[in-house]
Amino acid sequence: MRALVLILVLALAGCERAPAVTFADASITLPDDPLDLPDLPGREAVITNCTACHSPSTMLQQPRLSREKWEATVGKMITTYKAPIDAAAIPAIVDYMVAAQDAEITSEAARSR
Amino acid sequence: MSESRITRRALIAGAGGAALAAPAIGQKLVDLGLPGGPSLRPLAPAFPGKDAMIVQRIRPPLLETPLGVLGDSAITPNEHFFVRWNWDFPTAINVANYRVAVGGAVKQAVELSLDDIVNAGEPVEVVAVNQCAGNGRGLSDPRVTGTQWGNGAMGCAKWTGVRLKDVLAKAGLAPGAKRVRFAGLDVPPMEGAPQFIKSVPLDIALRDDVLVAWGMNGAPLPMLHGYPLRIVVPGWFSTYWVKMLATIEVLSGEDDSYYVAKSYRIPARPITPEDKDFPTVSITAMPPRALITSHADGAVVKRGAPLTLRGLALGGDAALSRVDLVGEGFERPCTLGPDEGPYAFRLWEVTIPEVQQDLVGIGVRAANINGAVQPEALNWNPSGYARNVIERITLRAV
Repeated sequence: MRALVLILVLALAGCERAPAVTFADASITLPDDPLDLPDLPGREAVITNCTACHSPSTMLQQPRLSREKWEATVGKMITTYKAPIDAAAIPAIVDYMVAAQDAEITSEAARSR
Repeated sequence: MSESRITRRALIAGAGGAALAAPAIGQKLVDLGLPGGPSLRPLAPAFPGKDAMIVQRIRPPLLETPLGVLGDSAITPNEHFFVRWNWDFPTAINVANYRVAVGGAVKQAVELSLDDIVNAGEPVEVVAVNQCAGNGRGLSDPRVTGTQWGNGAMGCAKWTGVRLKDVLAKAGLAPGAKRVRFAGLDVPPMEGAPQFIKSVPLDIALRDDVLVAWGMNGAPLPMLHGYPLRIVVPGWFSTYWVKMLATIEVLSGEDDSYYVAKSYRIPARPITPEDKDFPTVSITAMPPRALITSHADGAVVKRGAPLTLRGLALGGDAALSRVDLVGEGFERPCTLGPDEGPYAFRLWEVTIPEVQQDLVGIGVRAANINGAVQPEALNWNPSGYARNVIERITLRAV
């Protein structure tokens, strides 16, 4: 955090005044989001349609889901969260997530052995 | 217990392998022990004002506190405190222009400056646990979707602010006021998507310890924790602790907004994973929990020697009354550390005089003064909320 100086001046013993608080303008520089996604067919569809709202890790860290569950999840993003997902891209997104999960979980199992 | 199982939850440094999307080789990863995986999480990138945190998501940020760090003290330092945002939030705050609008079922709607808020009443300090409703979701079995947290989506801080009821008094409640709803500056990027707004019943809003807070552990609220103001509801899950507070709206009826009426809900009665249609209620007050933080699952301990286990506990919406170490065929009361207040973390420790064999499936069980006790079995629900099953680990004696 840059230039954030808010001072909580605690009342000294015997003082009648309540604690004084001073607020100052504040800002934060958040880290870049590198959009780390496995290089598999459909990657572009996922980046184009999904990452405006959130990092890829949200998807890649889910427990292994069925194709139907991924379809339902994409559907929820469209209906509930108003994600502007191109209907034609949905099969590519779902294919990608199923394949990426397989790759992620297989690779992790190899690392843990 | 296999060799691979034993090493699973240790910190994996420079794990290799044919990683596809995995973080760059050489990066430190933490294994959260999530059943079936994926379970490894990076400790990068670094976020401003934060020490090493488990990065669940970069944007909007989801940062988890490593368990070992969580057990270091009853007060969680700001640099280790977990972070959870539903939507993107402003990265700059101009204090001169900052206003909190108080409206709805009030006598006179007002727009309050930060000075107005600070001067609305006497300053109040409360030590309270802030815990994500989905803390521990990733450990659900069967697994459920959502942020795949381990158990580090909680922390305990000393919060400083004014009472919400004193802020409400600036506008005055109108007859028929039933709930108080909060909105922050975090808004969805897509038009029509639900804003993250949350409400509490009026009796909760008027509690003496429910705050509009600006201080966290004696420092200003960090931006990641909702600078300049956030709601504090001791004993309730953090979903109600709205950050970057911008609007306080008094409702004269029920709240039909998405994050109250549709989301953050649990089954009204226990269900099984096969159940489909069941009544739900909003998740509100926290149940008791305790964690062993001194030893990870699979850690090796010395046979024939005494063993001291340590960790932390919370009573939830009432003060902690006791913590017991439980294992197959034995129970042993734990010694509680300093009492920082009914809603705070409390450290505990217990010593086993002599370790004779592997300690299989041991855990700690917290109870609060209202008689709530951690259950043996997971109270499974499809969103993985309010996990408080006794967490069990196995220690290998050698």
